[in-house]
Amino acid sequence: MTEVKNKKIYIKSSEFIYRVEHLTLEGTCSTDHGPKNVKIKNLYVDKYPVTNKEYLNFVKKTGYQPRDTQRFLAHKPKNNQSNYPVVCISQNDAMQYAKWVGGRLPTDEEWQYIASGPDYSDWPWGDKFDPSLCNHDHNSLKPVNSNKQGSSWCGCEDMSGNAWEWTSGVYDDGEHRFALLRGGSFYYAHDHWHVGGGARKTNFHWKLQILNEGMNRASTLGFRCVYDA
Amino acid sequence: MHKIKNVKNKIINFSSKDLFLSIDYSKKVNLDKLIDLNSNYNFLDKKSNDLLKIKIENEIIPDRFLKIEKVSEKTHNKLKFISLAFSQSFKKDFFKGRISIIQKKENVIDVIFQLAGKWKNNIPKKTSLIFPFLRNLNNHKNFLKPGHVFNGKKTLKKSAWNFHEYPPAILTDKSKNFAIGIEFYDQFPWQANYNLSIHEAISKEGFEKYETEVQLTKNLSDVIVMRLYTSSEGKNKVFNLWKENTRSRYDLRKYFKPKNTWIKKNYITHFTFAYGKESFNYEKIKFNIKKIIKEGKEFGGYDSLIFWHQYPRLGLDNSNQWNLYKYLPEEYKSIKKIVRECHTHGVKFFIPFKPWDVRSNESLDYHAKSLENFISKTNIDGFFLDTMSSLPESFLRIQKKFPSFEFASEGTPREQRQIEQLTSSWDQIGDIRRNYKVEVEANMFRFVFPEHPLNLVSRWSVGSDKDSIIKRAAFNGTGLVIWQDVFGCWLPFSKKQKQLIKKLKNILDKFHAIIFGSNSVPLIETLSNGLICNQFCNNSNQKIFAIYNFTNKNIKGPLFALEPKTKIKLQQIYGINTSLQIKKRKEILAVFGTVYANEVALIHVKY
Repeated sequence: MTEVKNKKIYIKSSEFIYRVEHLTLEGTCSTDHGPKNVKIKNLYVDKYPVTNKEYLNFVKKTGYQPRDTQRFLAHKPKNNQSNYPVVCISQNDAMQYAKWVGGRLPTDEEWQYIASGPDYSDWPWGDKFDPSLCNHDHNSLKPVNSNKQGSSWCGCEDMSGNAWEWTSGVYDDGEHRFALLRGGSFYYAHDHWHVGGGARKTNFHWKLQILNEGMNRASTLGFRCVYDA
Repeated sequence: MHKIKNVKNKIINFSSKDLFLSIDYSKKVNLDKLIDLNSNYNFLDKKSNDLLKIKIENEIIPDRFLKIEKVSEKTHNKLKFISLAFSQSFKKDFFKGRISIIQKKENVIDVIFQLAGKWKNNIPKKTSLIFPFLRNLNNHKNFLKPGHVFNGKKTLKKSAWNFHEYPPAILTDKSKNFAIGIEFYDQFPWQANYNLSIHEAISKEGFEKYETEVQLTKNLSDVIVMRLYTSSEGKNKVFNLWKENTRSRYDLRKYFKPKNTWIKKNYITHFTFAYGKESFNYEKIKFNIKKIIKEGKEFGGYDSLIFWHQYPRLGLDNSNQWNLYKYLPEEYKSIKKIVRECHTHGVKFFIPFKPWDVRSNESLDYHAKSLENFISKTNIDGFFLDTMSSLPESFLRIQKKFPSFEFASEGTPREQRQIEQLTSSWDQIGDIRRNYKVEVEANMFRFVFPEHPLNLVSRWSVGSDKDSIIKRAAFNGTGLVIWQDVFGCWLPFSKKQKQLIKKLKNILDKFHAIIFGSNSVPLIETLSNGLICNQFCNNSNQKIFAIYNFTNKNIKGPLFALEPKTKIKLQQIYGINTSLQIKKRKEILAVFGTVYANEVALIHVKY
């Protein structure tokens, strides 16, 4: 197995019209879904989501242990899954890693720009949905470099399907706290009352209502980092 | 004096204690008379009241093809009947029919229509039935569709029913003392050829054009069984006759098990959405149940909580509904602590079941075992059946091991078995997408099965609609669901609304025996237009009248009649002061007062 080497991709500063779709059965998402003009600063972004190997290395090197360990790395990655996206990490766990590598989590706007680009493509690879270009509606996670053809305009891979990705920030509407997830995952639950799974479009975010860390971690939820240039 | 039979004149009659029916079959089968024997009032004043017309494809079989085959009558002990057998040949198709009137109980008469068909070349044709006599009855000025009331000039639907048993349509004479209830019992709408969903059709507009398709059998089979309930004590009595008849089919023992009585006083249940500051302390990362219970005092105190954390989270990964409890702080222990806290304050605790999350490798037995395990670990009191209106058989065994354990469903059960087994549910109304307005109307189910506790909820309603929820609960004597955090939308009750709910809860508790009494009747006669009234009573000398002014103007005057007793104590227990007085009106003792526009008042009467 060839080891995936994450590399940083440069994103040049740009203006971008942000417009996001928030689809959910009930409830609302009290963030500004646009359209609005946003400015993306010069930055670097990980080509791939952070892998198990990368994250375990961070844990090993830093001795990182979250205060609340419920479900932390509960997927217990096997040796042959080192290239899989790390999951079962909370937003805080992801931020700790990002800080260690000198980066941060992308904002919701940045993530969308990295995925859809200046052409505003519906999917990272273009405007037409092609399940063969992503890990959509399968039984399990796959290595982060499984779909090179599905990379986004800037070369980032695995942005749709496989594992959801954390974005930065916790929103507080006065009564609730929530974060925004991007990209969808391989898992596609059977009922319409479930969280809509599978690969998701570049302009879609899902509101994850924050609770304790055990509930904030999921076996389909990982992240990638960005770095201010 | 009416003769029972007059074969010479081709008339056949049927008489009960207070109702007389006469069928003229000289040229066609015509229901000539439907007479209240007390006043000699004939409900059928039009000449043409054919009992039945058969339409083949687009042609009604002309009367000239009618042939009367046999006229019968028989009385044996307490059972008596008359019947009229006929045949019709039409374009080489042949039809047989029989119309019978049968009586077993004093106030209950069945009019039975049976039909058979023999088709040319055995190829059936599209066959529709038309019931002109029923259309005429429907057009009678004193005809009330099921759950409707008179409003001076017209009738209005002022009720909701969400189960298979339709209350009867009601016909009253001029005095309104004599009433006939008309029922088309139809337990299975998909059952071929039986009652043809007339119970639904008659409750809607356009029944005067009603015709219905039937699949004819070779031998006579029941097509319509019209059950008539009669009473000279007005429509309230007819409702009770119908109710008794309906309930007689049900086994309701489960509602009266001593260990389950707590559910009947579960008036105010709190929907505890986990993901919000109402219930979760983000700083301390723990659920703040003490805070919820304390805030509940403003509503008169929560009787139970429904803890809700699986939706809208299920489906993010493949964790099932039980797995999600393991991810809570301290796993099951956090629930156990919450339950203990609740029990300390006399509050019961429900968790939900999500049938839509049952996986292909999970059986309902698996979920029953998981629930059993969960109860043992946490001591919860009940299981809330999300999106359901039925109780899976697998769950029944839970109550053998934990006799006080209860189930409550989101939908009111509709079928007999479910009404018998599922002893509590929500009365849920409303729809965020359809410009929904909360109506104050009678919930018929609640009056047929008063032992089944209901908690009213309209989750998305705000402002005046939230006021109407409280009015609707007061009007029907039901509990409420306090659901302020709707999956992340904060929709709280106002201080005033909380005070009203607190007041209502105290009334439900104080007058429980009357409000949930078995003799309660919905939509009784009122004495002023613009009012509707529910009457709550058990077998005591007390009644509670819930009266609602559904107009935009205050209504001052007579409200409802009282029994002619000498000592009557009257007290308003809920609503804006209506300045009650007892006066005589046209020889009737009545309660007078002012009911304010769109307001509900509860009036306690002690004889």
